[in-house]
This record gives sequence, structure tokens and C-alpha cells, in this order.
Amino acid sequence: MSGGHEPFVDEVDLKARLKAARIMHEKFSPLIKAVLDGKPPKLVIPKRTLANTVFDPERGILSLGEEVLEREFLDLGESRRFMQTLLMAAIIYQSLIENEYPTIRDLYYKGKHTIVYRDMRGRRREENTWDEQKESDSVIQDVEVYTGLFREDMLILSKEKGKVVGNMRIRSGGDVIDLSKLGHGAYAIESTADLIEILDVDAEFVLVVEKDAVFQQLHRAGFWRRYKSILITGSGQPDRATRRFVRRLHDEHGLPVYVITDSDPYGWYIYFVYKVGSINLSYESERLATPKARFLGVQMSDVFGYGSKKPYLSEAERKKFIIKATDRDIKRAKELLKNYPWIYKNRLWKREIELFLKRKVKLEIEAIASKGIRFFAFKYIPEKIETGDWIE
Amino acid sequence: MARKRRGRGAVTAADEKYRSRTVAEMIAKHREFAGFQNPARALYQTVRELVENSLDATDTKRILPWIYISIREVPRTGSTNGARPWYVVTVEDNGIGVPRTVLPQAFGRVLYSSKYVIKQTRGMFGLGVKAVTLYAQQTTGSPIEVYSSTEGSQYVYMMKIRIDTSRNTPQVLEVGEWGKKVGWKGTRVSVRIEGDWRRAKSKIIEYVRRTAIIAPYAEIIFETPDGEIYYYPRTTKKMPEPPREAKPHPHGVNLEDLREIVRATPAKTLKEMLITEFQSVGEKSAEEFLSKYGFDPDMNPKELLKRDNEELLVKFVEALSQFKFRSPKSDYLSPLGAEIIREGLKRMFAPEWVEAITRPPRSYKGHPFIVEVGIAYGGAIKPLEEPLLLRYANKIPLLYEEREDVSYKVVKSINWKNYNVDFPAPLIVLVHIASTKVPYKGLGKESISETPELESEIRNAVQEVARKLKVYIARKTREEEAKRKAEALARYIPEVAWSLAMLSKPPEKWSPPKPEEVATFKEKLIDIVASKIKIAGMNDEEVRRIVKEIADSVEVE
Ligand SMILES: Nc1ncnc2c1ncn2[C@@H]1O[C@H](COP(=O)(O)OP(=O)(O)OP(=O)(O)O)[C@@H](O)[C@H]1O
Ligand SMILES: [Mg+2]
Repeated sequence: MSGGHEPFVDEVDLKARLKAARIMHEKFSPLIKAVLDGKPPKLVIPKRTLANTVFDPERGILSLGEEVLEREFLDLGESRRFMQTLLMAAIIYQSLIENEYPTIRDLYYKGKHTIVYRDMRGRRREENTWDEQKESDSVIQDVEVYTGLFREDMLILSKEKGKVVGNMRIRSGGDVIDLSKLGHGAYAIESTADLIEILDVDAEFVLVVEKDAVFQQLHRAGFWRRYKSILITGSGQPDRATRRFVRRLHDEHGLPVYVITDSDPYGWYIYFVYKVGSINLSYESERLATPKARFLGVQMSDVFGYGSKKPYLSEAERKKFIIKATDRDIKRAKELLKNYPWIYKNRLWKREIELFLKRKVKLEIEAIASKGIRFFAFKYIPEKIETGDWIE
Repeated sequence: MARKRRGRGAVTAADEKYRSRTVAEMIAKHREFAGFQNPARALYQTVRELVENSLDATDTKRILPWIYISIREVPRTGSTNGARPWYVVTVEDNGIGVPRTVLPQAFGRVLYSSKYVIKQTRGMFGLGVKAVTLYAQQTTGSPIEVYSSTEGSQYVYMMKIRIDTSRNTPQVLEVGEWGKKVGWKGTRVSVRIEGDWRRAKSKIIEYVRRTAIIAPYAEIIFETPDGEIYYYPRTTKKMPEPPREAKPHPHGVNLEDLREIVRATPAKTLKEMLITEFQSVGEKSAEEFLSKYGFDPDMNPKELLKRDNEELLVKFVEALSQFKFRSPKSDYLSPLGAEIIREGLKRMFAPEWVEAITRPPRSYKGHPFIVEVGIAYGGAIKPLEEPLLLRYANKIPLLYEEREDVSYKVVKSINWKNYNVDFPAPLIVLVHIASTKVPYKGLGKESISETPELESEIRNAVQEVARKLKVYIARKTREEEAKRKAEALARYIPEVAWSLAMLSKPPEKWSPPKPEEVATFKEKLIDIVASKIKIAGMNDEEVRRIVKEIADSVEVE
């Protein structure tokens, strides 16, 4: 490679790094001071347990409750985890300062040491700082809740899953990108969704589809041009960046968000992840969930009709496309109905799930799409939006 | 035996042949009485009788024992045909020896003993070695061969002796006599017998081992027929105090004993006899006793032997056993002593903890006894499902009939959980009973009867030592916990110190942490960890040193 070029500096990243590093340093300062004063160090961390996950009906999101755990170094049951948390924090801190872009896998490797020591009998012993990535991933979450920083804030990257197209322009890493000029392709939503600068948006709503294939079909059919909208997919279970991006479009640009998933418990769950947050990672919801996201379909009533609403599928089509629900689906649906107040307290959702339990059938988005992409794009979706045929 | 009938007619009393059997015949006929019921047991019993005589001839005479034991397989000879192998068992000691004049009797006359006095010895019946002699002549036809020399003697004598069972008298088949060139003294006994080494092997080896456990002051060499040599060196010169001879206690005499005493006493009056021939009887108690039971204090004791006075004699014995005399003295007992028990257990088992006690003397039926208990725990001891019990009586290891023994009953009934012992556990319990009269269940001296006084005393002793064990285990558990804690925390100190050093520098002025910066955190953490750990028997500095040692030993790979 020829020299002469200035080393590339991404100002946006640099600023983000400095900010995150400052927060980390600040958050760990009391602990460092305690140690220097000879006091037993402890970390006070909000509990990430299910028991400490609460649903805030006001804001419509999941979040962590008041409970905290005190992770004391001198507590035998906690000392290992204490060491792991500090080690992870230190590696992340170092990566921030040294301009690294680690993934969670990189962090796993970077911190995976073997501690070799001699016990009281002089025998050689070994212990790994952590063994599996599951362990280090969980420590990363501890660092997140302890510092209040998301991994993306700390410039930890992960695989990009989300895609977006539409009438909008953004700035990412100093480059301006027009999301309406990407041809058949789309913009892959970067891990650090907060580092995207949204320059301008010319759209009336956001349409999120569960599946990448459906996303492509709608894109090629010119859906977002005809109905001024931003088209997004999370390719199945959405990653954090996709969810954050959707949330930002809603919050910062006041766009309504419609979600289309399969009509089965798994699809519903994906919708609820956009809307409420993931039950296991409730601390993220604060910034990732879009409580006002609307479930556009596919609804049971789209298939069977309800009251005066006529079904979108004929008897014959229905026979062709519907699939028998499995025992697992049924079990899962019953759980949704039983465990989550934002579901069982919602009249329409209750109706939707009870209808499912009665009919014991499910339907994929493709079923409607295969009736003709144009039917799907230019009749089904706009008609439902227009008539307000969604569940919130 | 077919007996010839004289004439026809009925058999009359006059035709019956009456004759008394000698005790030698008795023992020869009923081998099991003496522990010779089968070839394996006989081999074991032979070793025992000879070794115990050797020990009696040494440690009870203040001689540090040196004992050599050998068992060799030898070819069968003569017309005897059979499958059972023959062995020559030889036991040699450095003891007091047997005077020439006594040799024939000691080895060839049943119920001949130097130990018919009231003091604690291993031997007590005057039977042991004669049972061996009888068994040898019955199974191989060989006499017992004895070399012996006493301390002051100029000669070493050798005799080959058998027993004329019908008369219970020794027959000396061969005599030898040598002038002593070296200073050898002691006794060497060899005997050729039928046996079964394969079956007896483990018991005999265990017997020698257990003998060695409580005799760390003895040097013992044992050569087996397999050519193995077990050598137990002397690890201490401390020996138990030898027993002193004592007079009988009034509670301990029976009718026969009393007759013997009366016959032998030079005393002129009953009162005098009581004072001079018995222990624990003084002027006052003698008078009180005699008046209480209405005996004339001035009566000549010999009167009691008169045929007409038989009833009086019986009354006298009963009165003796009832009256409250002082308890029997115990200085004619010879306990091992806690030190020897501890030393012996340590030598044989290398435990991490050992403790022993000698209880104060007690008595049952006028016989004094002392219970001693040693407990060894942990270390090299193999954990078992129940305590390993080592039983001893008058310094003799007891191996057979364990379940019938009073000690087994006691040890089994103890709830060891109460003493912090969780089985499987590395626990050895040694019980020694010393008495002028050990209540054995049989002549083979293998188990002790459940005498209430003994039982409660054994229980007290075991519990007393077990309580100390409990304290030790509790402390150890606490200590181990503290140590585990020290270890668990110390090993993380380097990682935590590095992390803290890393995070301690603000991003604007960041540079990689220097070793001395990491070291500062490390030392602080060591202080913090050490200050929170208490290990019994260690001061704060020592604890800190340990924590630091572990933290310093850490290498991160
Ligand atoms: N190795 C020896 N050294 C010195 N004297 C011995 C030895 N072996 C036997 N004797 C003497 O021979 C006697 C008879 O021994 P024996 O074993 O028959 O009876 P015991 O030991 O007195 O009683 P027990 O029948 O209980 O063994 C002993 O009392 C002792 O005086
Ligand atoms: Mg004997």
C-alpha cells in the first residue's frame, strides 16, 4: 500500500468513544477509591432477573425494577463474577481508548485467561476467567446495566441484521447516504444505530416486516415509493440496532410504525419485541422499544373475517395456505395469554389469541403475499392502514 | 476302646473303670478350648502364644523387647501322609529366659506358670505354650525345642520336650548345654506343626502389626513363609510401667482361693490374716468386718479348714464379697499410657490427629481394671464406612469375634455424627482393657464379655476422646473454610488489580497501566482480603502472608 494518506479518523466514533469512556471511568471511580481506602469493594447492579422485570403500563414498556444486587468481592459466591465484571469493564475500556471495534466474541477471547495459581497445599491449580461465551456475554450485560451504557455506546459491534429503504437521508461515519437511491439493495442498519444522523425524512409511516424475503418483494414492487413510507426488516428476531432505529424514526420524526409478521405465537412475539422489549433483556427497552408500534397483520380476522369484516382469503385459498398449529404453538399461545399483562389486558389481543386457540391454525405472511405481491402491497396493506384495522 | 467282658451277667459298677483325666488330656482332646480348632487357627494361635510369652518376658521386666518371629514351611516326614503342610514356627526374644530347672515344667506341664500372681500379664492360665506343645506332638509328632539362657547364667541350655498326657508331666527327649561366648540371653522356641498359612496369613500379619502398634518401644522382625519380612523398628524407648504384684482383694476371692490363702498364711488369727493377706484391709476395717458378720477375730484361721467348718468357710467368703472394703488398688495394673498409644497410632497410621487417654482405675467384682482409648483421625488413614476398631486386652491384640466384643458394641452404638464425624471417615478407635482378670469369653482370649462396669467405662473413655476430636474437626472445618476463602479470593486479585488499574485512569490522560500501579492495587486488595479472613491459630500477619503467597503465585496465561 502506498503511504502518504492521513490515517482515517472517524470523528463520530471518536466522540462516541470518549463519551462512553468518560462514563465508564466515572462509574468505576467510587469502587477504585474504596479499594485505595482499604474498603471491601462492591458493585451495586440492578438485577436482571425475571422477577425484577416490570411492565410499565404508562409508558407501555418493560423495564428493570428497583431491585439491585450487591456484588461484593469478599463474598465467596460473588467473587468470581466480581472479577469477571471488572475484567470485562477493563477490556471494554481499553478497547474504547485504543480505538478498537470488538465484537462480543472478540471480548470473549480477549478476556479469556487461564489463572494458574498454587493453592495452600502448594498444588498447581487452574481456572479460566470464563469458559463459554455465554458467560462473557452475560458479564457484558452486567457492565451495560452497571454503567447505563449499551454495548453499542461502547463501540461493541455485532452482526447486522436490519435493512432499511425509503425516502430519507442519513449521515453515517461522515458520509451522506440517500436511502431512496440504493437500487435493489438496502442500507444495512449499523450496530451503532445512535451514531446514525438522520438528516431528513419524507415519509408518512414506517412499515416493519418480519421477513427479509417479504421486505425484498415490497421493495421491488415499489411499495415505499407509492405509499410514502420507510420500509424496514429485522430479518426475523430483530437486533438491537434495528429496534433502536425504528424507535428513533417514531420518536424523532413522529412516524407511526406498522408491523407485519406471521400469524402465529412466534410472529406475535417478534412484534412484542419491537413494541415492549425482550423479556430477558428488559433493561434495553427503555431505549429500544416502540410502545406505539401497531400490529397490522397478519391477523386471524384477515383469514376468517370477524363480525362485519370480510376475510381476505376465499374458502379455497384458506384451505391452501393455512397450516395446522402445533402443540408447541398452542402451548406458547396459552403462555402469552397467561403471563403478559400487556397481552391479556388488551381486548383485541385477547380476541386474536383466543381465535387462534379456537381454530388451531396459523398463517405465514407469504400466504397473503402469494395471492399476488400486488394484492399484498397495494390492497391488503393500504386498506388495513386506511381502515385502522390493526391492533395496538 | 473295646473292653473285654468278664463273664456274662449284667455290668456292675465294679466293672466300670473309673479314672480321672489329666488336664493335658483334656486340652489335647478339646483343642478348640485353647484356640486350635483348625490348622489355620492353630498356626495363628501358636504365633500368639509364643509372642505373648516373649513380651511377658521382656516389657513386664523392664527390658526393651527385641522379638524375632519366623514361620517356615517344611516337608512332611515319616509315615504321615496328608495334604496339610507343615511349618516350623520360631519365636526368639531377649527376655529374662527360663532357668534350666524350670524349663521342662514351663513347656511340658499344663497349668504350670510363673504368672499365678495377682498382677497384669498377658499370660494368665499357665496353658498357652503347652497347648502348642500338645498340638505339635499330635499333628507332627515333634517335641517343642527351647533354647534359653537367663541373665547371670554362664550357659545356654537346649531341651526338646514333649508332654506325657496321661500324667501331665514333661518328657525331656534331648538336652544340650553350651558355654556362653557372647552375652546372649533370652529364649528361642521352635515348634513343628501342621498349619494353613494361606488361610491364616492375613490374620497373622495383622496380629503382628497390631502388636507392634501398641509396642512402639519394641523391635519386631517377622519372616513369613512367602519370604516377606515385616520389620517394625523401635521408635521410642518409653515403656509402660511394669505391673507390681499384689495381694488379692476381698471381693475377688472365691472358695478355692480362700482355702489356698488360709493354708499358706502364717497368720495366727483371723484378724491378722485379713490384714496381711488381703489388700485394702486395715486394722479398723478388719475389726468392723469380723464383728459385723460375727466372726471371732482371734480364731486361728486354720480352724476354717476343718471339715466341720466348711459352712463357716462358705459364710466367710460370702461376707468378704459383701462388705464394703476400700476399692482395689491398681498399681499392679500396667496400662500402656496415653503417650505410647499416641506414638503407636502415629507410627502405624500417620494420622493428622491423634489423642489418647488412660482412665482412672475402676473395678468389677473385686478385680481392678483400667480402660484406655486412643483415636486417630485423617491423614493417611483410609476412610471406611465405620470406625476401624483396634481391640486390646492386657496388651494383647484381639482379632477374632469382633462383633461379640463389648468394645465393638460400645463403638457401634455411638452416634459419631454428634462428634462431627461423617462416614465414610478416616477414623480409628483403639480400646485397651488392662485388668488382673480380663473377662474373656473363652480360653482363646479373643473377645471380652459385656460386663456393665467395663461397658460404661469404655463408653466414657471413647466419648471423652471423641469430644476432643469433635473440637478438632470443628476447628478444622472452620479453618478449611477460611483457607478456601483465602484461596478463592486471592487467586482473583491479580485480574482485579489489573482491571482497577486500567479503569483508574481518565480517558484524557490514559496510558497503559504500569506494573507498579497494578502492584499498588494488588497490595491493597491483599490487605482487604486478609483483614476479612480469620484462621484459627494464625495471626493477621500470617494470614496476609498466605493470601499474598497465593496471589503472587498467579500466572495469567
Ligand atoms: N519366652 C519366655 N521367656 C521366659 N519365660 C517364658 C517364656 N515362655 C514361657 N515362659 C514361662 O513359661 C510359663 C508358662 O507359659 P504358658 O504360656 O504356658 O503360660 P502363661 O503364659 O503363664 O499363661 P497363658 O496360658 O495365659 O499363656 C510362663 O508363665 C513363663 O514363666
Ligand atoms: Mg503364655
